[in-house]
Amino acid sequence: MSEGGPILEVRDLFKTYGGVHAVNGVTFTAERGAITGLIGPNGAGKSTALNVIGGFLSPDGGRVIFDGEDVTGWPMHRLARRGLVRTFQLARVFGGLTTIENLLVAAPGHRGESAWGILAGKRYWGTQEKQLILQAREMLRSFGMEAKADEYARNLSGGQKRAVETMRALMMRPKLLLLDEPMAGLSPSLSRQLEDLFLKLTGEGMSLLLVEHGLDTVERICGKVVVMAQGKVLSEGKMTELRTRKEVQDAYVIG
Amino acid sequence: MLVQAVEAIGFGIATGAVIALGAVGFSVQFGMSNILNITYGSLMTLGAYMGLYLIDRGINAWVALLIAGMVIGVVSVGFHRWLLAPLVRKGTRAFAIVIVTVSAGVVLQYVIVAFAGPDAKSYGEQSGQTFRFAGFLLTASQVAIIVLTLVLMLGLHLLLTRTTLGRAMRATASNRILAQSCGINTDLISDTAWLLSGALCGAAGVALAITTVSFDFTLGPIFLIPMIAAAVLGGIGQPYGAMVGGLVVGIAGELAASFANPEYSEVVAFAILILMLLLRPSGLFGSASATRRLAA
Amino acid sequence: MEYYVVVLLVYLGTDLLAAWGLNLEFGVSGIANLAFIVTIAAGAYAYAICTLGPPAAMGNFQQYVGGFTLPFPVAVAAGTLTGAVVGVLIGITGLKRLRPDYQAVAMLVVSLMAATIVSADTGFLNGNAGLGLIPAPFSDQDPEFQRWAYVAIVAVCCIAGYLVLRRFTDGPIGRTLRAMRDDEYAAAAIGKDIVAMRLMVQAVGGAFGGLSGALLVAFIGGWSPGAWNYIETLALLTAVIVGGMGNNRGVTIGTFLIAILILQGVQFLPQSINTIRIGLREDLGWIVLGVLTIVFIWTRPQGVVAEKRPRYGGSP
Repeated sequence: MSEGGPILEVRDLFKTYGGVHAVNGVTFTAERGAITGLIGPNGAGKSTALNVIGGFLSPDGGRVIFDGEDVTGWPMHRLARRGLVRTFQLARVFGGLTTIENLLVAAPGHRGESAWGILAGKRYWGTQEKQLILQAREMLRSFGMEAKADEYARNLSGGQKRAVETMRALMMRPKLLLLDEPMAGLSPSLSRQLEDLFLKLTGEGMSLLLVEHGLDTVERICGKVVVMAQGKVLSEGKMTELRTRKEVQDAYVIG
Repeated sequence: MLVQAVEAIGFGIATGAVIALGAVGFSVQFGMSNILNITYGSLMTLGAYMGLYLIDRGINAWVALLIAGMVIGVVSVGFHRWLLAPLVRKGTRAFAIVIVTVSAGVVLQYVIVAFAGPDAKSYGEQSGQTFRFAGFLLTASQVAIIVLTLVLMLGLHLLLTRTTLGRAMRATASNRILAQSCGINTDLISDTAWLLSGALCGAAGVALAITTVSFDFTLGPIFLIPMIAAAVLGGIGQPYGAMVGGLVVGIAGELAASFANPEYSEVVAFAILILMLLLRPSGLFGSASATRRLAA
Repeated sequence: MEYYVVVLLVYLGTDLLAAWGLNLEFGVSGIANLAFIVTIAAGAYAYAICTLGPPAAMGNFQQYVGGFTLPFPVAVAAGTLTGAVVGVLIGITGLKRLRPDYQAVAMLVVSLMAATIVSADTGFLNGNAGLGLIPAPFSDQDPEFQRWAYVAIVAVCCIAGYLVLRRFTDGPIGRTLRAMRDDEYAAAAIGKDIVAMRLMVQAVGGAFGGLSGALLVAFIGGWSPGAWNYIETLALLTAVIVGGMGNNRGVTIGTFLIAILILQGVQFLPQSINTIRIGLREDLGWIVLGVLTIVFIWTRPQGVVAEKRPRYGGSP
């Protein structure tokens, strides 16, 4: 939509969840083509905030501006179509579909899914399908999973499922990708590979917002970092500066 | 017209008592095992037919009710222990379990028909004297059933709140794993809950047969709907809610039958159930946990 | 005997159409529509009130709305369309995000409610007595020709229906529907409009149901609430579960097994069984059906023919 300006603006976001003000007036922006980190102690409301931004939960107050457009309260699928894509903390693959199908199904705007496309049949969407298959195979190759292409996704290991979830999100060519603890449970080498991938993606223009506990990762790849505690934004800036700020140190010790 | 309304309310209390009886049993089963046991309907029918068998052999209707209740209680425990619980352990989805209970209900229903035939049965004249008080017009049987329901409900309440068993049951129903870690034998508690609720189911079946002029093999399934409506209305899994729900459904049904088409008393129960499911599945008194259990 | 073969073929054809519709909704898309029978009934009633003349012209012995005396193809189309509309209406009631088993019970109740309302209102569709003397096509021809012509009509509808069905169960849309079946939230997260897809599926499934009902009622000539109680959905569901959920071949085999072998097969049991009690053979059929469903859910929930694993362009 707009050429410049932040890819995401969150203003005064409120969400009550389970009787608690989980998100209690959160305001921050995420820059275009950058990796923004969202950190904070447990219970700070980071995941809830991400869920609200991603459309999984509806906000009780405040605004979410994505790519210059007010998308507050939009349902998940509409956000996804606009380019705001989220992944889940616990990988949710389509178990009854094969690995490659998990990727294919994520492709946006498939002609085979329109009313006309269904009735017209293969002649209408066959070419697009072939291209998608090539694209999906390429992505599987880059993640080292081409051998599992025809395996039912429910039979994959936990780490493989996470990879599928990430690949699926990427197949959607998102403008902004929301990631909830993408490194959790990954080995250091896999973590590194994923970090490199994220840097490569932002190099190509994608923006990322990630909730992450591993502060080394955050320091290595994030541009701006937003610190949340008790439902509010405590501080923001580069990780190296934040480490020195007293309120951030206190939050992590106490919160 | 007021007289008509009051009379209808009186009938409603009587019908409501039976509905409450069944609804409480159904609710307990759901609360304990998280299963919507549609076979409950056919088990009520079985209870009714068993009662018939006993009455035809000269046994008093109320004794028959007790006996049938106990038998259906045992059958229910077996049904849960050897069919439903293993399926749950295997990881069968909730939907498939419902299909199993519906199928089992169909099988049971047609087994009953195979043995007893499809024609209408009757317990014969059971009503006894008619009493008129406070504008209500009730037969002795209806009064007896109301009293019976009150006694059973009180008994259940005392059991749940004053006994160790009752506490264990409430603990298991609310958090099975936690209860296990407290040393509660949850399987045994489960079985007990199914025994008791199964007994209520059988008793409800006989009570239904007593209050209706005649019945056939569709008795249970037909009355299951108002009972589920009552259970959902009161917040499924909550026996107390089911009691209140039973009254509401009973009275609403009788009022509809009295002032509109008698056929519509059934439709009222359907409507209540659908509306509740669509608008407020946790019921009027539902707890947050019920909502969590019910939301997809 | 020859007449009996005709009956069997017509029943098989209409059951297949219905099973395919239910399979699209339940097996492929994960929509637990236990009120499916209502779409079949809707199609049947729509056909009836389209082909019958006005109630007065028939001596007013049955009361109903409509009575348009339309020809067969129009009436069948009307039946199909009505099935689709009813399918969407049922779909709308099922949109509330409820636990699947709760939803199943809700659908069952919708089915019962529909039956009760139709039974109670005698002016709408002649209540409990139902409609009779419903015209069939070719009635002015030689009876043998009429019968076999009808089999041909049903066969053509089945072939056409199957081709349309494949469009929905295969290809990208089939993939998306199965994703929806597996995890609705995740499907929404990747941009799929769940509500639109569910309603579309229930419209198409309902259309299959309506077509099935219309073709069936034209053959039988009569239709009443007794013909479509909730147990009938169970029979179809068993066919889908036993045959193999989600895949068309399996469902076809399942329908053949259930509709023909069991429900019709009991006719071949010795007559002596029926002397014990009239209708005992049909009761046995239902018992076998129920037991079969339970056995399959216990031992082989994927059905006789498991879903085929889709492969894309060969392994690397």
